[in-house]
Amino acid sequence: MSIHIPILIIISPLLAAFLVLFTRKHKIILATVSIIASIVFTLTLSSQVLSGDKIIYHLGGWRGPIGISLVVDGLSFFFSLITLGLGLLVIIYSIPERRYGRTYYFLLLISLSSMIGVIYTADIFNMYVFYELLSLAVYLLIAYPKTGVTLRASFNYLIMGGVGLSFFLLGVGFLYAMTGTLDIFHIAERLPAAFNSSTRMVLMSIVLIVTGMGIKIAVFPLHGWLPDAHSMAPSPVSALLSGVTVKIGIYCLIRVVYTVFSTEIFLLIGSHNILMVLGVVSLLFGASMALAQKDLKRLLAYSTINQLGIVLIGLGIGTELGLTGALFHVLNHAIMKSTLFFCAGIMIAETGTREVQGLNGFSRQQPVITFAFVIASLGMIGIPPINGFASKWLICLAAVEAGYTFLVVIILTASAIAAAYYFRVIQVLFSGPLKQDPMHAHEGGQVIHGGNLFRSWPIYILAAACLLLGLIPTLGISLVKPAVSLLLFHVVP
Amino acid sequence: MGSSKIIRTIAQKIFPFIVLFGFYLISNGHLSPGGGFQGGVVLGTAIILLALSHSIEQTEKKFKSRWLNMLEKLGILTLIFLGFLGILLGYSFLSNFLPLGKPGQIASSGLMLFFNIAIGIKVAAGVSVIFYALVRYRGEI
Amino acid sequence: MTPINISLLVFMIGLYGVTSKNNLIKKIMGLTIMNGSIVLFFISIGFRETGLAPILEKGTTSGISTTILVDPLPQALMLTAIVIGISVTALALALVVKIYAKYKTLDIQQLSKER
Repeated sequence: MSIHIPILIIISPLLAAFLVLFTRKHKIILATVSIIASIVFTLTLSSQVLSGDKIIYHLGGWRGPIGISLVVDGLSFFFSLITLGLGLLVIIYSIPERRYGRTYYFLLLISLSSMIGVIYTADIFNMYVFYELLSLAVYLLIAYPKTGVTLRASFNYLIMGGVGLSFFLLGVGFLYAMTGTLDIFHIAERLPAAFNSSTRMVLMSIVLIVTGMGIKIAVFPLHGWLPDAHSMAPSPVSALLSGVTVKIGIYCLIRVVYTVFSTEIFLLIGSHNILMVLGVVSLLFGASMALAQKDLKRLLAYSTINQLGIVLIGLGIGTELGLTGALFHVLNHAIMKSTLFFCAGIMIAETGTREVQGLNGFSRQQPVITFAFVIASLGMIGIPPINGFASKWLICLAAVEAGYTFLVVIILTASAIAAAYYFRVIQVLFSGPLKQDPMHAHEGGQVIHGGNLFRSWPIYILAAACLLLGLIPTLGISLVKPAVSLLLFHVVP
Repeated sequence: MGSSKIIRTIAQKIFPFIVLFGFYLISNGHLSPGGGFQGGVVLGTAIILLALSHSIEQTEKKFKSRWLNMLEKLGILTLIFLGFLGILLGYSFLSNFLPLGKPGQIASSGLMLFFNIAIGIKVAAGVSVIFYALVRYRGEI
Repeated sequence: MTPINISLLVFMIGLYGVTSKNNLIKKIMGLTIMNGSIVLFFISIGFRETGLAPILEKGTTSGISTTILVDPLPQALMLTAIVIGISVTALALALVVKIYAKYKTLDIQQLSKER
């Protein structure tokens, strides 16, 4: 049974997703249990993976360049752990909301299952299929409240995402034309020969794939869908989108750039400079747009663009330290941003407004939630005892080491702007009188009681994780180490 | 309701043949062009033909949308179950554990036939459920 | 003009439709055109002149060398891609129906003015 674990991790939420449609009462238990099962399965692989092993599972017993195989190595293990952990918290956070019926949990489970699919599969077309499945589920989750703005946000995302995945698929087509296989590791073996004979096709495919994933990650000129989609979706879905779904795009980018096109080709073309430039631009753009927002969730959405810029800079630097910092920042951003969105969900429910200005005196109503919000936003800015500092510090060190000193200045500037907009929110939270009649409220129609156990515990857990990773950063770095050594030195055959 | 007697009669007479053709496509999918998806769509169109030539209500009495909904989910669950059977019998997920027959015969591809049947049922139910949903939609446009 | 170039041209036409048309339905049409061009692209990768269809006939189970068959893999992939494309289109159209019911317009310029 133990060799079948990679497929069981994918199948368990998928099976639960279809079983959920049959029951009315047990949907939450089913969803939670299936995700917990997946997490347990993943953890059983941890000792093997962290020691540098690579677990390969051949679906249907078909090997090699023909069959589809699942690969669990340092990188995919790291991303799947983030996905499943946050997925569980998102499900727990959605429990008190009575409006969410069977379809909601079905879509949530389908999206989580296909995220794990994207992460584990070693077949690049299968990756596309899973990604499209994930996107379909996510479009529907955004449009779940069926209000006008959510429908529009979902449609925007659908059009942009459709174009992005079309680019990706066209790039995959070029890869197939050159190498005659779809297995990532076999493509990587055959690509250097193809690079010598048909350089332009390799260039074409890398451009197409990076553009396609760029739309999914929302780098600056292609970010149009993100602010609407992330801010209009229901709060748990926002946390899922910002925390996990965007990271899947980053995973695909890393997989394709560093594994399929090996690092050598990548550096030869000079694409790392492009990643860096894109990172810098979206960093500054995200920060300055967030500064101008009045809507709390919209502010957080622009902040996502800002933070992803930092990740891209780390990836673009491409040294060991830079990659460590980038991957560590992926983990930290996932934790911090979902904390913030969870808190924002409670704030909006309690005060009945989405405006930052309407949050007056929230700290007196919900002191603990406010404390968690403050911790996470200090992490976003990069104040020392919180985890965001550790990863930003690593990226700055990497930039200095690689001779890009100006990047440090830019990251610091963006952090200063981030401080400006987060402190604005914090100031409002702590100032002003308690609101006289807290309009009990809407995120689309029904009363939500913010002090709920299921709502607050995910926030406490995530805030504790922020502090823990900030105080003992080696904890996160040791999780990232196998992935980095895999990407740079190909230690595993 | 609105359709003439000729259409109603012909649709009734042609219905079993369409169903037969659908099952032929499903069960022969591993030997010739066709397969679960294509056969399933043909089966679905048979139901759609009945609904268009007779009334929707009459068709719904025969093919209840509740049951079709159920069948659709059962199709995918069967598929996953067949995949698990591979694991339980000591092979890997979705792998074949049945003996391979002589090429060219119906029983020549092991599990593939059963996968095709599961997919065929799912697609047929799905197509007709979609059709019912579209016909019943009375939202304002 | 090889089929590959034509498919890239069609891809660009689709991209033009998505990016520069104001009507939501036309945007979806652009998406569908892009999808179609990718299908053409993959099929032309697998195409081989005077190649046979990759189906084993009853009598000829042996003796056919695989070199004279066209590559069946892109065709199988494209079946999947077509199905995915259809589901994306269906979802997009469903969203458009809902949007139209809410706002009574399909023009994206007017929609962006609405709150």
